[in-house]
Amino acid sequence: MRTKQKIIKVPFIGDLIYSSGHTILGILLGIFTGGLLIAISGVNPFLAYASMFRGAFNSLQSFSNVLVRSSPLLLGGIGVAIGIKSGVWNTGIEGYMYIGAIGATIVAIPELGLPPIIHILLCFIVAMLFAGLWGAIPGYLRAYKGVNEVTATIMLSYVAIYFTNWIVSGSPLAQEGAYFPMSLPFAESSLLSILMKGTSLHPGPFIGLLMCIIFHIILKYTPFGFRTRMLGYNPFAAQYAGINSKKQIVMTMVIGAMLGGLGGAIEVLGLKHRLYMEFVTGVGYESVAVALVAGGEPIGVMLSALFFSILKVGGATMSIETGVSSSMASIIIALCVLFVIGVGVADSKRLKKRDEKDPGKKTLSFKMEEAVK
Amino acid sequence: MNENSILLKMQDISKSFPGVLANDHVTIECEKGHVLGLLGENGAGKTTLMNILYGLYQPDQGKIFVDGKQVVINSPSEAINHGIGMVHQHFKLVDTLSVIENVILGIPTNKAVLDFGPAKKKLEKLCKEYELFVDPEEIVWRLPVGKQQWVEILKALYRDCKVLVLDEPTAVLTPSESDQLCRAIRKITEQGRSVVFISHKLREVIEITDKVTVIRDGKVIGTVNTKEATQSILAEMMVGRPVTIERKARPTVKEHSAVLVMKNVNAFDDRGVQALKDFNLTVHAGEIVGVAGVDGNGQRELSECITGLRKPSSGSITIQDKQVTNVIADPSFVGFIPEDRQKTGLVLDFTVAENLLIKDYKEKPYVKNGFLQYSEMKKHAEHMIKKYNIKSPSGDIKVKTLSGGNQQKVVIARELDAQPVLDVASHPTRGLDLGAVSNVHDILLNERNRGAAVLFISAELQEVMALSDRIVVLYSGQIMGELNGETADQFTIGQMMLGQTTEAKK
Ligand SMILES: Nc1ncnc2c1ncn2[C@@H]1O[C@H](COP(=O)(O)OP(=O)(O)OP(=O)(O)O)[C@@H](O)[C@H]1O
Ligand SMILES: [Mg+2]
Repeated sequence: MRTKQKIIKVPFIGDLIYSSGHTILGILLGIFTGGLLIAISGVNPFLAYASMFRGAFNSLQSFSNVLVRSSPLLLGGIGVAIGIKSGVWNTGIEGYMYIGAIGATIVAIPELGLPPIIHILLCFIVAMLFAGLWGAIPGYLRAYKGVNEVTATIMLSYVAIYFTNWIVSGSPLAQEGAYFPMSLPFAESSLLSILMKGTSLHPGPFIGLLMCIIFHIILKYTPFGFRTRMLGYNPFAAQYAGINSKKQIVMTMVIGAMLGGLGGAIEVLGLKHRLYMEFVTGVGYESVAVALVAGGEPIGVMLSALFFSILKVGGATMSIETGVSSSMASIIIALCVLFVIGVGVADSKRLKKRDEKDPGKKTLSFKMEEAVK
Repeated sequence: MNENSILLKMQDISKSFPGVLANDHVTIECEKGHVLGLLGENGAGKTTLMNILYGLYQPDQGKIFVDGKQVVINSPSEAINHGIGMVHQHFKLVDTLSVIENVILGIPTNKAVLDFGPAKKKLEKLCKEYELFVDPEEIVWRLPVGKQQWVEILKALYRDCKVLVLDEPTAVLTPSESDQLCRAIRKITEQGRSVVFISHKLREVIEITDKVTVIRDGKVIGTVNTKEATQSILAEMMVGRPVTIERKARPTVKEHSAVLVMKNVNAFDDRGVQALKDFNLTVHAGEIVGVAGVDGNGQRELSECITGLRKPSSGSITIQDKQVTNVIADPSFVGFIPEDRQKTGLVLDFTVAENLLIKDYKEKPYVKNGFLQYSEMKKHAEHMIKKYNIKSPSGDIKVKTLSGGNQQKVVIARELDAQPVLDVASHPTRGLDLGAVSNVHDILLNERNRGAAVLFISAELQEVMALSDRIVVLYSGQIMGELNGETADQFTIGQMMLGQTTEAKK
């Protein structure tokens, strides 16, 4: 009797589980090794993690802090992730966030007499426009002049940071006589509303999560996503198939920049209510780590961004309560990145074997052995 | 037969993949100092069997004996330790490293700093011994394909193998390179080593092997002594019916307007060397123009210029009076089978269905309201798999799991199904079995009869002569001469391929 495999597919959940596999494993290994390091530093790792957990979840307020903290990581994370999918390292998220925030600031300060929703949308649009144009520079350099995009984006990030410093200290938008370089306050109508009383929870994290889902769908189910993936897998074949790879590279970098810019705008509109000097130190670079841990998958970005912000928010509590160094959170993040990359390498060997066994691996498949005469 | 003289034995090997039984109780034997030929249709299971020997796959059942001792091979490094070397069907070299770096890559060393000196000496000695010359310092991507093949072989020999597996090594070689390889194989076997040789070219198989095992659908059909075999016996064993590649009768096509017109085209290759020199060629509707010539004389640049992948430095190329400016990726206008299927023609990590649509993914039934319709793509794939006889369990599997020949069929199906005005077929039959070669010939002939202009680029003289209405011979970026397909003789073409016509004429 022969047996025939029948495969039932559950596309979305299947995608989710598949694309999160590496991420979860890498995170677990990171937590484990982090625990070892905590133990070496003389603290019981269980107590330390418990304190971290409490720091992140013990109250609505702390949990909303986790969400708020994840907002720029989610947006920056997908921005980097779609770059990875098309084969470019769009590492300039930090700069896009500043430029986006500047764009938002310009239209957020004046009282325009618009209803809040319109005013906010206007801020978002200008932010994305600014950041998108900014991202077009390294995109153009990479696609048409062959300039390494990592170098170009990081250099431009510095330019953006110094530009912001000038905006908040020397430009007409700056608040005069402030104790710290900052812009004028934003108009009331431009501020994001607080979703929960007594917390700082603004809609940013939900916008970020929504974007992750949207970009997952775009990458998987649209021609644009098809092109992007093709370019990432095999640039020669992409060119052969008539894809304008230069244009595609510029586009993915611009989109990544727009997402980063949106992230920056949400930070200032939702949390800071002004533009400050160095308001996102390092978040842009953490976004790169988020995307790496996510393996370039937007769905994985959801997981890794939330995890990173739990680490960051809970890490502060852990350090206060147990005396573990406050940089432990960053160390664990770095460990996760290394492990995800390591797992990826180890897994590519295993995958080869699994490919033989289960070609429908990208979809969660329940196999039913069905007897055939 | 003396059991001791058997160097390699694979006994009763079975291996299944989902939906495919790739090896079905296969037994092969190879004596010391002998060459065993493995023959079989595309997807018959030859590569799978050899991948098992090399530790890349685990068999579901069966035993492997090397030198009379049973061995279990879990990985390529274990295979190498057991004296097994393998040259894969598709190159596994690291393009950006030098020859010597590629050769010693993966050999464990206990030195902190790599010392290339002794390695280079050893490699140069091997080069001399087998007359497979390559410069150890050259970066691999700069080498012509034939030389890259030498590197693959030298890499295996460097590891001192007792059994050398060559999986379709001649598919990318020129005839004279193939002869060179044959000489090297003889030297290898003289030293008491054994070679397993896979090829679809029967002439070579007969010339070089001692025994031939024929596999069909994963099962051994039989093993014959090569001395007692002829091409037609082997072909029949392989395909189950007699097949020959010969010229078929063809109707004359009325429509005869010029489709492809190339005027004074100059172009450079990736290395910056001039590859096409003042090249002129016209291909009409309803004719097959065969481009004969030793590979590397501008064939690749020719096909790439026509399809817009490469910009000529000067000259003009028109297709149906339209100037070629950008990449043409419309298979209903120009179908292009590129010479390197894995690098250019396919996205290996995409499924068969996606690969069949890498050019047409944004056309009507496959996109609705801005979203890809995977169900339509799948339906299309199922249709093409049937129509073009692609051995694939479904459209949902990654194209990289298909056998080499079936990967090629995916490209052919995609490029020729849309009935283009011009077909540019660059080595379309490379890696195909005899039956599939004859199918491709039928397809191209039908294209011609339908009124398409066909440019057929091939290094296989026999195929060019069987298929072409007109033959042009490419040498060093120029056309050496043009012959009528009906009357052309092998000798004249052979002379022209070596660039000798001009002197003869003078
Ligand atoms: N990793 C894999 N996963 C699934 N199926 C596979 C895999 N490798 C091979 N197959 C299937 O096994 C069968 C035998 O393939 P194999 O590559 O051994 O053929 P082959 O005889 O080498 O053919 P060719 O002459 O075309 O190279 C094919 O149907 C192929 O699709
Ligand atoms: Mg094969």
